[in-house]
Amino acid sequence: MQGNSLRRRSIAGLPAGSGGALPALTLVGLFFIVPVVALLLRSVTDPEPGLQNYAALFGSGTYVRVFLNTFLVAAVVTVVTIIVAFPVAWMLAIMPPALGSIVFGIIILSMWTNLLTRTYAWMVLLQRTGVINRALMGLGIIHEPLPLINNLTGVTIGMVYIMLPFMILPLVGTLRAIDAMTLRAAALCGASPLQAFRRILLPLSLPGIAAGGLMVFVMSLGYFVTPALLGGTSNMMLAEMIAQTVQSLLNWGLGSAAAFVLLVVTMALYAIQLRMVGARRLGGGL
Amino acid sequence: MTRPFLSIRAVRKAFGAFVAVHDVTIDVPKGEFLTFLGPSGSGKSTTLYAIAGFQDPTSGDVLLEDKSLLAVPSHRRNIGMVFQRYTLFPHLSVAENVAFPLRVRGRPDSEVRRKVADMLALVRLESFAGRYPGALSGGQQQRVALARALAYDPPILLMDEPLSALDKKLRQEIQAEIRRIHRETGVTILYVTHDQEEALHLSDRIALFKEGRIEQIGTGEDLYLRPASEFVAGFIGNSNFLTAEHLETENGTAVVRLADGSIIKGVKATHALGHGQKARLMVRPEAFRLMPAPGNASLAVEIVDTAFFGDRRRVVARTGSGEEIDVRPTSDTAEPGDADSASGQQIFFDPAAAFLFPA
Repeated sequence: MQGNSLRRRSIAGLPAGSGGALPALTLVGLFFIVPVVALLLRSVTDPEPGLQNYAALFGSGTYVRVFLNTFLVAAVVTVVTIIVAFPVAWMLAIMPPALGSIVFGIIILSMWTNLLTRTYAWMVLLQRTGVINRALMGLGIIHEPLPLINNLTGVTIGMVYIMLPFMILPLVGTLRAIDAMTLRAAALCGASPLQAFRRILLPLSLPGIAAGGLMVFVMSLGYFVTPALLGGTSNMMLAEMIAQTVQSLLNWGLGSAAAFVLLVVTMALYAIQLRMVGARRLGGGL
Repeated sequence: MTRPFLSIRAVRKAFGAFVAVHDVTIDVPKGEFLTFLGPSGSGKSTTLYAIAGFQDPTSGDVLLEDKSLLAVPSHRRNIGMVFQRYTLFPHLSVAENVAFPLRVRGRPDSEVRRKVADMLALVRLESFAGRYPGALSGGQQQRVALARALAYDPPILLMDEPLSALDKKLRQEIQAEIRRIHRETGVTILYVTHDQEEALHLSDRIALFKEGRIEQIGTGEDLYLRPASEFVAGFIGNSNFLTAEHLETENGTAVVRLADGSIIKGVKATHALGHGQKARLMVRPEAFRLMPAPGNASLAVEIVDTAFFGDRRRVVARTGSGEEIDVRPTSDTAEPGDADSASGQQIFFDPAAAFLFPA
């Protein structure tokens, strides 16, 4: 009886026991695939069939500027996150495991804390009369408050902080896999610490940087809360624009088109990364 | 007196309360192949790391041509090193790995190309220049590592158990390569191993480490034929230790009584021992004979096992007090039937070829 039913499942091409995955698959199907398809349909049918929404999106200087700004912010955030995360990841990789897991825990803990709370905290810290500006003025380092909020600086600070764990985690994995003896060998070969970093450590950690960097970049592209609260009106990002288009202007067609473009860009980037990682593996270098 | 090329002076390395290396002093002449031999944890690698600059000694000094190396960071010491683990750069080709030390020194391309070709020829891997380390066997990787370490003509080459990850046949092959490369380049080599056969095969001199100290330093022959202690005798070559009691010493030879009550006369007295002091008599397996010779001492034994290996035979004998003896008579004394005639229950050895150590 049971053997029979097992065989039937394997005929269907699914391994036995995959019935348990059904609820999750249903969720993804109903609440992700269906909406995405609906989104695509809406972008080419609302208010009337045709590509006019896309034409409006790419034809208007305002929207193109929002696109460019979105990519600019995501790129800046990604680069800064990589630079900030690398030393942390390196420290975690070479730490004694017991101590490392404590620091790791603290980093993970920050991911569990409410995003909105953390972003509001940054608002308090970064504003004109915030702790940072007052401290710097109190120390006599500056005389005028620095513009740290409602601009690219504010968005970058807030987003880098949010994104750090997503960069650190894959990077630690890659760095831990690098044998410390390889770096000692590089030193004895005559490489200065800077040369060893540039010629050995950096190339060897590229897979981790690529994985983390892409994750951060893609997440940043569609980020809403932090840019909305810490950014300025002059550098609006795509997610915020979509929200405004739909909520204030009730232009569902245009909002759908913008969301769909974002989705396509994200998936294209993911495909590129898959190819890069695959090619590296095939190359046999790592 | 000529100054030593490399001088390790009273190097001491402590990790907290644990002292890994106790005041090790060695002078190494240019071009020598010196091996640090010893069990794991005996301080041989720590001493090597002090020369490499990975661990600063707690006290003492390391001088190369009279200049202290200690203040010089690893990357300016200009020392070559081959490691126990494979440390080739996985993202660089074989040729680029060998070129690496020259590139970081900013040498011109033409020189780099010529030198890489020379080095790959030296380790006989010319046809592997374009491969990546992941596509090489362990032995090939270590040969590339050797080429990389020699590419910049370092005055000293350090080798930290470079063959320990390889199987026995490959090890012997690469040992022969290392000997040839030492002959051809004349580079001074400091080699760390725990394998006494490897040490005997490769080295001009061996420094035998025990618990952070040098127990004895000398040629392989010195250590084998004139071991300074029971530890040396036990570590180098095969040896039988028999429980003994020292009776008296006269004219440089000692008389001992073994556990089975037999009296052995004419043993070389290398240590001052008192009457009745407990001692250990060491006899090499190949020093035993199955037939008596003039001046030989004899032992009453029971033959437990005998095996024939073609070029030699091996006999396991047991003394009256139950101590097992490994007997490997050299071929000239091992004639067919010898083992049978030994069922007369006696084996023989030259007492002058035995060693007496305090227990």
